[in-house]
Amino acid sequence: MAELLVAEHLEKIYGEGDIATRALKDVSFTLQQGEFASIVGQSGSGKSTLLNLLGLLDTPSSGNVRYEGRDTASLGRQSLAALRNELIGFVFQFHYLLPEFSVWENLTMPAAIAGRAIDTAEKDRALKTLALLGLEGLEDKNANALSGGQKQRVAIGRALMNRPKLILADEPTGNLDTANTEAVYKLFREISAEYGTTFLVVTHDRRIAQQTDRILEVLDGELVQDVRNEYVAAKE
Amino acid sequence: MLSLTIAARFLKKSPGQSALIIGGIAVGIATQVFVGSLITSLQADLVDTTVGSSAHITLEATADGATVDKSLATDATAAEPLISTAVPVRTLSGIFTQGSESVPLSLTGADFEGLDTIYKLSDRITSGSPGLDSDEALVGIAFAERYNVSPGDTVALLLPDGTSGDLKIRGLFDLGAAAANERIVFVDEAFAAEALDLADDEYTAIQIQLTDVFASTDVADRLATGLDVSATDWQSQNAELLSGLQAQSASSAMIQVFVLVAVALGIASTLAISAVQKTRQIGILKAMGMGDGAAGRIFLWQAALLGSGGTLGGIVLGYALIWGFSLAPVPFSITPEPVFIAISGAIGISVALASSIIPIRKTSRLDPIEVIQNG
Ligand SMILES: Nc1ncnc2c1ncn2[C@@H]1O[C@H](COP(=O)(O)OP(=O)(O)OP(=O)(O)O)[C@@H](O)[C@H]1O
Ligand SMILES: [Mg+2]
Repeated sequence: MAELLVAEHLEKIYGEGDIATRALKDVSFTLQQGEFASIVGQSGSGKSTLLNLLGLLDTPSSGNVRYEGRDTASLGRQSLAALRNELIGFVFQFHYLLPEFSVWENLTMPAAIAGRAIDTAEKDRALKTLALLGLEGLEDKNANALSGGQKQRVAIGRALMNRPKLILADEPTGNLDTANTEAVYKLFREISAEYGTTFLVVTHDRRIAQQTDRILEVLDGELVQDVRNEYVAAKE
Repeated sequence: MLSLTIAARFLKKSPGQSALIIGGIAVGIATQVFVGSLITSLQADLVDTTVGSSAHITLEATADGATVDKSLATDATAAEPLISTAVPVRTLSGIFTQGSESVPLSLTGADFEGLDTIYKLSDRITSGSPGLDSDEALVGIAFAERYNVSPGDTVALLLPDGTSGDLKIRGLFDLGAAAANERIVFVDEAFAAEALDLADDEYTAIQIQLTDVFASTDVADRLATGLDVSATDWQSQNAELLSGLQAQSASSAMIQVFVLVAVALGIASTLAISAVQKTRQIGILKAMGMGDGAAGRIFLWQAALLGSGGTLGGIVLGYALIWGFSLAPVPFSITPEPVFIAISGAIGISVALASSIIPIRKTSRLDPIEVIQNG
């Protein structure tokens, strides 16, 4: 397996002086292409902070994130944005769909940002994504006119549309009920199997984490455990 | 282009807000177009009434009561390229008496073609016919009405040499000013020569019109020194009117500037509000890889769309106001000047673009993490 992402001695300190919070302390690990991993830990332990650093949405106080051997510390805002567009799909607890646009337009937004024409190949991909997500027939609906579960599925579809190598998801089912939650993880698994997409999912739910191949546990800003999940691994 | 699409969608999403600001810009630009055109036309009309049909400069001999030679007209024209016409005239006074009432009149004698170039008489004869033969006169409509005379009638005038001259009224004119319509009488130059006892080449004055009415003082000064004559110009004689016009122009300019400031503040505040309302959308677009420049351009496009929509609407509304004004019973009409209106439009759009600077900067500086962290 090829190395996709390397976190090297990541440190994140919020604020300065007396109110400074050391949210991450010397976190290092490597994520291989195609892995399906989760990050667990208590509230305030630093899970989101870590994910945002890995997603190039925030910059570490020290340390480095490397993608496919490429250093990101020296990149400017524009290059980081381009790299996010190309490599990473984000799913957050909130869907962040654009309420001014239809489902179809929301799905094709990453392609539009990359400056790609919505050609036949792109349309095929969007239709396939819709089918995978069980959203057929909803493409012309306004994004606001969907149920919570549907919105989150569109957000997942949007994260997939550029066929990113990595999906970073922060509590993606935090706002969903049990049935929807299970559907989302089933979907993640299907996508992972179909496209070889790497997943790194933040959750505070141990049961969900148990279903992933690798569990990274964060405690008070430190990576305290990094285990392969035998149960799932054995099942494969 | 994505920035433009998103800008259009943002505006469409809040149609009420967009319509309000477009309406606001339209009213501002319409005011600009209407007030600007009104003042310009009003001033042009005033200036035209004052000097459109009268001499811009009058040349006379420096010595009191002396005459000038006819050749002075050609000399002046040769010396000053701004002179469009120079006509030798013989002016004298005459007294008209009807019943117990006597009224002093001002007679101007010259050949009809010459008078026509200065006073545009062909266009201003309201009854009777243009032209002058000896013993014929053209009188003003106010005079005709007051003393109940009409073309074909003969009037007797007491002339400076003590004799009485009989003049047949050939036509009535309207010079656009009440005093002129009551007091001025045009007569044939031979009639005037006889009454003043002047030789063929002798005239009392040269009346001049210029291609640029506002050059009269300068040209008069040069003619006075160059040709050793006394030169009176309309600008010096109407200094009060001119400073009034200047004050009017200044206040009109001020109104227009304030209107633009109001328009700018309106757009700026709308866009600032929109930038705040759309923070979440901008944040996720940036997380997905939209660059700072493209994100900022969303607001530049919004300003451009609002500005051009409002400006276009304003120009249409401005024309409508001008048209509405033409229906009102006022004695002059507003002529919309396309160049002025195009400039107003360009300024309107530029002001709109300029007022988007703050939201553009705010948007391009926004870090996606601010949105992601705060939900
Ligand atoms: N912008 C910030 N400024 C200051 N402190 C912050 C900021 N963001 C996070 N922190 C602090 O950093 C620590 C880690 O926060 P983080 O959001 O990463 O936790 P988390 O593990 O994602 O928690 P949760 O499960 O509740 O989402 C917390 O102590 C938090 O208070
Ligand atoms: Mg979190």
